[in-house]
Amino acid sequence: MNNSRQMDPIQAATDYGIDVSMLADNLRRSVTDRIKRHQIALNTAKKLRKAKRL
Amino acid sequence: MSNDFVNLLERLVNNGVDFVIVGGFAGVAHGCTYVTQDIDICCDFSPANLLALQKAISDLDPVHRMTPNRKKLKLTDKTCVQFKNLYLDTENGQLDCLSFIDGLGDYNRAKQESELIEVEDMKIRVLSLDALIKTKRAMNRPQDKAAVLQLESIRKLRTETSEE
Repeated sequence: MNNSRQMDPIQAATDYGIDVSMLADNLRRSVTDRIKRHQIALNTAKKLRKAKRL
Repeated sequence: MSNDFVNLLERLVNNGVDFVIVGGFAGVAHGCTYVTQDIDICCDFSPANLLALQKAISDLDPVHRMTPNRKKLKLTDKTCVQFKNLYLDTENGQLDCLSFIDGLGDYNRAKQESELIEVEDMKIRVLSLDALIKTKRAMNRPQDKAAVLQLESIRKLRTETSEE
């Protein structure tokens, strides 16, 4: 019982803390859209890294 | 052209560089939600291909990012043969060029296990989902374990979608 639960990849990912609904959303997007959204996230992360503490 | 990874890929394609996207960015193309700061490619390390790669990024101030003084990229026919991997930094981001992938093999093997994707009207080779899982399992770093969980979920979600 426990083995079959461990072998379900979606359950394993959920248990690890991965938001599988975000993966499902991504799969509905084109590759171009996925890469665009990744670039937006990366650019935001770069800006945050440069942010100064006030 | 925009100042980002797509531009980097566009340059490689337009200069006829033979490559396959591998690593974290391949995961992004397949639908992973994490953010990666570099593009890993597996490419043909023939002098002709490496010189084409150098030409593609020559105006982006490419440097060897792992060398102490961030040595400028200056490949010649003769020096090309010294490299098995190139870890580069450019104005458009980091580009790691690998001749061999753990858990998979060389460029020819990566090409065999790749699929064509379309990004902004460009056709680019990316490592297949199954092959990417194989390589991430072989690497087995903490980030690879997390990536495998995402990639295996994507494989299951794809199967469920195709069964509907």
